[in-house]
Amino acid sequence: MIEAESAPIQGEHKEVLLDIAEVSLAFGGVQALSDVSFDIYKGEIRAIIGPNGAGKSSMLNVINGFYHPQKGTIKYKEEVRKKMSPHKAASQGISRTFQNIALFKGMTTLDNIMTGRILKMRRGLLWQALYWGPARNEEIINREIAEQVIDFLEIEAIRKTPVGKLPYGLQKRVELGRALAAKPDLLLLDEPMAGMNVEEKEDMCRFIIDVNEEFGTTIALIEHDMGVVMDLSDRVVVLNYGRKIADGTPDQVRANQGVIDAYLGVSHSN
Amino acid sequence: MLYRETGQFKISYAADQSVFPIAQDRWFVSLIIVIAIFVIPVLASEYLLQAVMIPLLIFSLAAIGLNLLVGYAGQLSLGTGGFMAVGAYMTYKLTTAFPDINIIIVFLLAGLIAAFVGLIFGIPSLRIKGFYLAVATLASQFFLLWMFNKVAWFYNYNSSGTITAPPREMFGVVITGPMASAETRYLVTLFIVIIFAFIAKNLVRGRLGRSWMAVRDMDIAAEIIGIRPFQTKLIAFAVSSFYCGLAGAMMVFLWLGSAETEAFSINESFNVLFMIIIGGLGSILGSFLGATFIVGLPIFLTNAPQLVGLSMPIDMQKHIEIMMFGSLIIFFLIVEPHGLARLLQILKEKLRLWPFPY
Repeated sequence: MIEAESAPIQGEHKEVLLDIAEVSLAFGGVQALSDVSFDIYKGEIRAIIGPNGAGKSSMLNVINGFYHPQKGTIKYKEEVRKKMSPHKAASQGISRTFQNIALFKGMTTLDNIMTGRILKMRRGLLWQALYWGPARNEEIINREIAEQVIDFLEIEAIRKTPVGKLPYGLQKRVELGRALAAKPDLLLLDEPMAGMNVEEKEDMCRFIIDVNEEFGTTIALIEHDMGVVMDLSDRVVVLNYGRKIADGTPDQVRANQGVIDAYLGVSHSN
Repeated sequence: MLYRETGQFKISYAADQSVFPIAQDRWFVSLIIVIAIFVIPVLASEYLLQAVMIPLLIFSLAAIGLNLLVGYAGQLSLGTGGFMAVGAYMTYKLTTAFPDINIIIVFLLAGLIAAFVGLIFGIPSLRIKGFYLAVATLASQFFLLWMFNKVAWFYNYNSSGTITAPPREMFGVVITGPMASAETRYLVTLFIVIIFAFIAKNLVRGRLGRSWMAVRDMDIAAEIIGIRPFQTKLIAFAVSSFYCGLAGAMMVFLWLGSAETEAFSINESFNVLFMIIIGGLGSILGSFLGATFIVGLPIFLTNAPQLVGLSMPIDMQKHIEIMMFGSLIIFFLIVEPHGLARLLQILKEKLRLWPFPY
């Protein structure tokens, strides 16, 4: 915190996509976030880490409009936003995945990914009822985009399988696909690798890097696997008990005494 | 051997997204439609058309309507009878006030009014879910029937309190009222049901259907994707009530000929709900299967003893019929809790591998 106050990446000036300033969020008497400030540059991978209950997921929920902070401002795409609904956030290009998989279990992989395109589909009820002309074209155009995502994530074989029947690792991948189908500007990943084995983690890391490099998508991710976080991210923000305790490049954060204390505990004997 | 999709390659997304992607299904459904249009009216007796085929089709339509709401959008409703009554009474009011308007258009208008009423009764779905919503929709059932009983304007102040289908023609043929033949009424019903079954299928395989299923499966995730849950649920209520209203109108005008509010009692709501539970929630085909089961089985059980040459007292026969009906429902739900549509799907998957299951 002392030395790493929003350290810019060396050499180049970066455009700020999301700027969070002194955000506080409380549920009754529980203070989930207090005066948290950080920013996310366009095109970077930003990790949010911290011990359990640090307020990481609450932070993501604030960003995509699911929780409304009592205090603080959020500036997204040069625009300060007030109370925002998840629908509005989604239509402004924020999409996310969940810590506990939140797929639509009764639907096939393809349909799940197609739901990611819903905001891009505009045809009214009557056209859809006929499934003809513009409505049919719209389905086909969006199907093509969904198929690109399926191709990218290498899940062609499970296209028509109900996601409830898929193993955990694949479900996580389908969920990423659903978020990607919306072609987001800002992608929020809540523990994309939780509960995966090493091989699945490697696959997922590759996808995250590819998304960032090929599509230029800005990514904010929460993850507990420190190896993954340090390798993937450009910058890391560390939360503990709802406060920001460090912010900077992986190396800076790794060296930060406050972070080490938060993760390993502080000895009070000396 | 017969049912296999090997070699049927899709080369466009349009082909892959068609209603029946497998050629055998396509042929089978076409065959059934051809038989229903050309063979049944010629061969079937008046009794078969009036007592089996027409109610079967009408209840299928109502079941499709309820299935859109319960099976696809996940909003449990017990107000079906009420919405059917709206369709029937509104058709009666409209066609007696404007006798020159084509009766089919009147059906559709009445359906739209039912859709609007459904929309209003769908508002509680914003806050309540599951069984509590079912109880809330009961209000529509009782309130609407009470209103149609109480306000004489709805049945044109006649002394009996019933609504009667007046004779209406289309292309010079009488299709409603006592003079209409069973064949004509059957064919009109059939065409309406085929068209609206396809429309329902189109809705559920497009954007709207996916939003419904998304809200059903995980409403929070749906919201975060950008679906407005409230709006989506309200559309589901409106579309569902449109189908139910249309079915209610057809029930009086193409099947019963006249009716009181009794015809749309809570029993009908339960009946339609049982149809979709037994047929398969979230399946258009299941709506047809469920309606066939619930409408057809009692008739079959009534006639079965005579067919095998058994004669028994009529009251005993009735009791056995009720017992058989109940136990068959339980049997099917134990064998396949996801309904007849699922059973058929399993059968199809088995058939695809048959006779070499490895």
